[in-house]
Amino acid sequence: MEDKRMKDETMKDAKKSDGMRFSFSHFFIFSFLLLLLVACSKHPSLPSTYTQTDAEPSIWPDYVGVTVPPNIAPLNFMVDSVDDVVAEFQAPNTKLCYGGKANKVQIDEDEWHEMLSAAKGKSLSVTVYTEKGGKWMAYKPFNIYVAEEDIDPYISYRVLPPTFVGYDELAIRQRNLTNFEETDIYNNRQISKKMEGQCINCHSYQNYGTDNMMFHMRMQNPGTMIVCDGELVFVNLKTPEMISAAAYNSWHPSLPIIAFSTDHTMQSFHTRDVSKVEVMESASDIVIYDVKKNRVQTVLNDSTEMELFPSWSPDGKWLYYCSAHYEYNKKYEDTDELLENYKRLQYNLYRLSFDAESMTFGEPELIYDARSKQRSAVQPRISQDGRYVLFAEGPWGLFHIWHTSADIQILDLGAIDHSPLTIDHSATPDTCQNNGQCSMVNVKCLNSPLPESYPSFSSNDRWILFESRRDDGNYTRTYFAYFDRDGRLHKPFEVPSEDPEYFRLLLRSWSRPEFMKEPVRITPRQFYEKALTEPIKVAQ
Amino acid sequence: MKIKKTEDKKPRKADSKIIGKLPVFLILYISAFLVLSWYFLYVRNADTMFFFQDRGWWNSTQLFWDTCMLRPGGFLSWAGAYLTQFFYYPALGCAMLIALWLLTFGLAKWSFRVADEWSFLLLIPLAALLCSIIQLGYWVYILNDVDYVFYHSLGLFAALLLSVPFWKYLPVSEKVRQWIALVWIPLVAALFYYPLGIYALLAAAIITIQNSSQSSGAGETKFKIQNDGLLHFFTFHFSLFTLLFLTLWLVPLLETAGTTLMRPDQPWMYGFRKFEMEHLHDIALEFPFYVVLVAPLLFPLLGRLKTGKLVLSQSIMLVVAAGMFFCLYLRDFKDYNFHAEMRMQRGVEECRWNDVLREAARVKGPVTREMVMLRDIALINRGEFCSKRYTYNNESIQPVTVSDSIHIRIADQAADLIYYSFGETVFAIRRAIERCMHYGYSYYTMRMLTRCALVNGETENARKYLRLLSRTTFQKKWAKDMQRFTEDEKLLPQDERFRMPLKLYNEGSELVGTDDSYVELTIMKKWMYSLTNDPDAQEVALGCAMLMRDQKCFWSQVQQFYNINPGKHFPIHVQEAMLFGVYELKMQGINLSFVEFDERVVERYKAYFERLNLYSSQGMNEKQIGAALRPEFGDTYMWDYCVLREVQTN
Repeated sequence: MEDKRMKDETMKDAKKSDGMRFSFSHFFIFSFLLLLLVACSKHPSLPSTYTQTDAEPSIWPDYVGVTVPPNIAPLNFMVDSVDDVVAEFQAPNTKLCYGGKANKVQIDEDEWHEMLSAAKGKSLSVTVYTEKGGKWMAYKPFNIYVAEEDIDPYISYRVLPPTFVGYDELAIRQRNLTNFEETDIYNNRQISKKMEGQCINCHSYQNYGTDNMMFHMRMQNPGTMIVCDGELVFVNLKTPEMISAAAYNSWHPSLPIIAFSTDHTMQSFHTRDVSKVEVMESASDIVIYDVKKNRVQTVLNDSTEMELFPSWSPDGKWLYYCSAHYEYNKKYEDTDELLENYKRLQYNLYRLSFDAESMTFGEPELIYDARSKQRSAVQPRISQDGRYVLFAEGPWGLFHIWHTSADIQILDLGAIDHSPLTIDHSATPDTCQNNGQCSMVNVKCLNSPLPESYPSFSSNDRWILFESRRDDGNYTRTYFAYFDRDGRLHKPFEVPSEDPEYFRLLLRSWSRPEFMKEPVRITPRQFYEKALTEPIKVAQ
Repeated sequence: MKIKKTEDKKPRKADSKIIGKLPVFLILYISAFLVLSWYFLYVRNADTMFFFQDRGWWNSTQLFWDTCMLRPGGFLSWAGAYLTQFFYYPALGCAMLIALWLLTFGLAKWSFRVADEWSFLLLIPLAALLCSIIQLGYWVYILNDVDYVFYHSLGLFAALLLSVPFWKYLPVSEKVRQWIALVWIPLVAALFYYPLGIYALLAAAIITIQNSSQSSGAGETKFKIQNDGLLHFFTFHFSLFTLLFLTLWLVPLLETAGTTLMRPDQPWMYGFRKFEMEHLHDIALEFPFYVVLVAPLLFPLLGRLKTGKLVLSQSIMLVVAAGMFFCLYLRDFKDYNFHAEMRMQRGVEECRWNDVLREAARVKGPVTREMVMLRDIALINRGEFCSKRYTYNNESIQPVTVSDSIHIRIADQAADLIYYSFGETVFAIRRAIERCMHYGYSYYTMRMLTRCALVNGETENARKYLRLLSRTTFQKKWAKDMQRFTEDEKLLPQDERFRMPLKLYNEGSELVGTDDSYVELTIMKKWMYSLTNDPDAQEVALGCAMLMRDQKCFWSQVQQFYNINPGKHFPIHVQEAMLFGVYELKMQGINLSFVEFDERVVERYKAYFERLNLYSSQGMNEKQIGAALRPEFGDTYMWDYCVLREVQTN
């Protein structure tokens, strides 16, 4: 009996202890899960105690006071030299907190789009709290303005090291702006053999679509990849009459015609100037290529004019371009002479009327006399309504991304008499502020002390895309700016990235960005396979 | 199954007999390999190992990890790059690498049950790995694998690890185990192809052979066939190898189908190091990798080698060991200048001018132009460019005479460091960036780009590079030290690393042009024409004019020196050059009355030409005269000018 009682007691103890073990293990599991939940939570809580400051936070990238499209990907950001950061986003009817993971604020995509949708035409208010050494600080809230108009959902660009003459590693990529998805359109690694690289450049699209698009390949497997009505062709555009194979280009908005410049490019290095490189064209002309007929037609070939960067107006009736006047002393293309006079190569903006039926062009018309201001205007782009001409302006030459003083400019054709064109060429952006009739838009908020270049309009004209080296002076990044219906520009912002530190760490440039309404459907492998074939020659 | 048991016991008995006595062979082999590896890696190549590290690149960012993992062999790349950092202390890196090799050896021995007396054979691929590191020579400058040293060693280790027959101990019948192998082979290749690249395929191949050899070991086949039936035996082996070939063919093909980062026509060789450039293909350098990939396939068979026949086994081992040593000795890149260049580059970067000059003085034979330039940089920084330059050996070799398959030029070596030292920061950046693109980013390049950015006043750019360097293991300290220059640029001229480059940057003229890959010529040509009022920079210009043997520039720089250094004696070599110009080259219209010549300079000048005329009258040719004059006059400008005529700038 004694034994049995003892046994029962022992059993009871054992059960008790089992019960205790059970509850303890559950407690630990529960605590662990809770911790995990807190750690993984999208929404950290705000600090209960903090010091308030009147200063706006210094965030990277700088999204303070920017205007964004309602379909843009989350504007993730970070704060330097802090241990922790929490940001409270206040949209109409919503308040959400993000951060709490070191010094980065990364926003949930779905919630972000909901917030933007609610704040369309209004703004988001963002309050940033930072923690350093256990002490929290709250900054003055700032606004992110949300425009009514969407941005084109895709951009494409070249990704390359800030290189000069090597082409081992180069890609044309596309990025979905509504999220962070980024894919290759074509990557030269598919063809490059060690140091024998392949240059790929000048990607362009007809009317922001990808059923008609193109880009060039140089060095290995040279030729031009053209997608026409979804069909891929590989063409050798060089004809005996052309200076070189085709280069800078523009698709006619409705016809299967591409305007090209054809040129001799040379590159030299500065020994001290931080601009580092000068790119020059020792000769250049403009031709058009009929994709369907596979024929090239010369448009401009004046040996004393260096015509470049053709750009069709959206109605297809005008071909804009830029040109620098230069006459060689020795009556031949003397590159040494040009090297000594490279600062004299200053480009003006011109345009030609175009008759699609007869395929003929009118006489050159000066649109913008940059040379008279000792400046050089290149890379013109026309707004869809035909009113504005967007271009890059630098001290000389055509590669303004290497010129620290290069800026984006906008010429307002609507503010001037159209027939014939009468433009106040002495106008500067600064004089435009109080002058409603001025032909130049005030672009002060768009530019920085570092280079800006390669601008373009979105398909609805409300967004301007351009490249800039304002981050660090050396690596090119993509920026967007809102251009409202009243012709006012708003503070630009850098293309958002999932990791806000991405562009700070990336040792590649994103250059020559272009808007697209849709992704490229031809796969990189299809381009590669096509590149292995012999390019078709232009019919004579 | 009975036979299997007997078979299993046999080697264990044999093993235990030897181990019971003493693992003499094992100790001997390991010791021999340890000594051999340490000698070739550390004793002979410590500078090369540091160089591997310095031209490597790893950082703790997610971006770096993601970039590595985009390619087959990505994990090996990441881990290899991480471990390569440890050659910052060459002894530590070497110890880690050798430890990994010994671990690989141990794993192979345990995994394949190789008897001690035969285990030396397991060292063959490891010796090949050692060879692959020490034989590179000038190829190290153009390697684009920042993970080269550890990549293949880690790959081999991982392949062996994956082929360890854990599944063999599964409590299943042998038939089931065999069929499990059929699943395991493609699975290993498919799952590990991206992390391990070609080494995942090697693992699949080893598993196949191991499985096959276990099922058809010596003396067992007959019984196997009797027991299992001929059909099953052949079906199994046929399936095994068919599966292997299908795996090797399909896995790389399918797994790389979506990638755009590699050539679609070469998925099978991704991760195999090839040494080819345009019109050059050095198969000898690739040979060790063939050994690394083929030798492990034989490991499963080594476990079957009979034990006890010591004379036979040890004779073979001796021959293998001798061959191994001979190959390593033969392939070790012994060129003195190659190693001296690396030490001098590091010396210049760290501003250890005395060490650089000591290294320059130590070289007996002809030197490379890069060594000449690095030495001149040290002399410039010590203000001795025009007074001591010709006391050093200027006899130079052409790149083509270097006993290496690749003949690289300064442009591919330390062009950025040299340009930077002469204040040519834009050209330095250009060379640094070009190299990054061709051969990948490196700590060295990052430091160089940071320094150039600081001299150029591109502070934000410098911060970018420092941000990345601060995420590395051993460059943090340097990055932290540099931080102060981004905050206060006035500190730059006070620091030896910036003092002279900044001065030359500021004093140099702004030109637009290109170097056409002639680094030395570009610098010399720019500086010999530069007229500056800064005494230090002007001495560089004067020295360059002398070096280029351009009389017009020389006399114009002499005049400038006189103008900006009133009352100062002309440096010795300048005095020699002046006498030589007027009396030997017969320069017209030069008035030397304003020059106070050192007596000894004049005496030696006279003696030089007396001796030269004497030798000439004795019928000696130019070469013989040069050699005869060298002991006494080899440190003069005259001797350099007359004898070293065939020197070509690089």
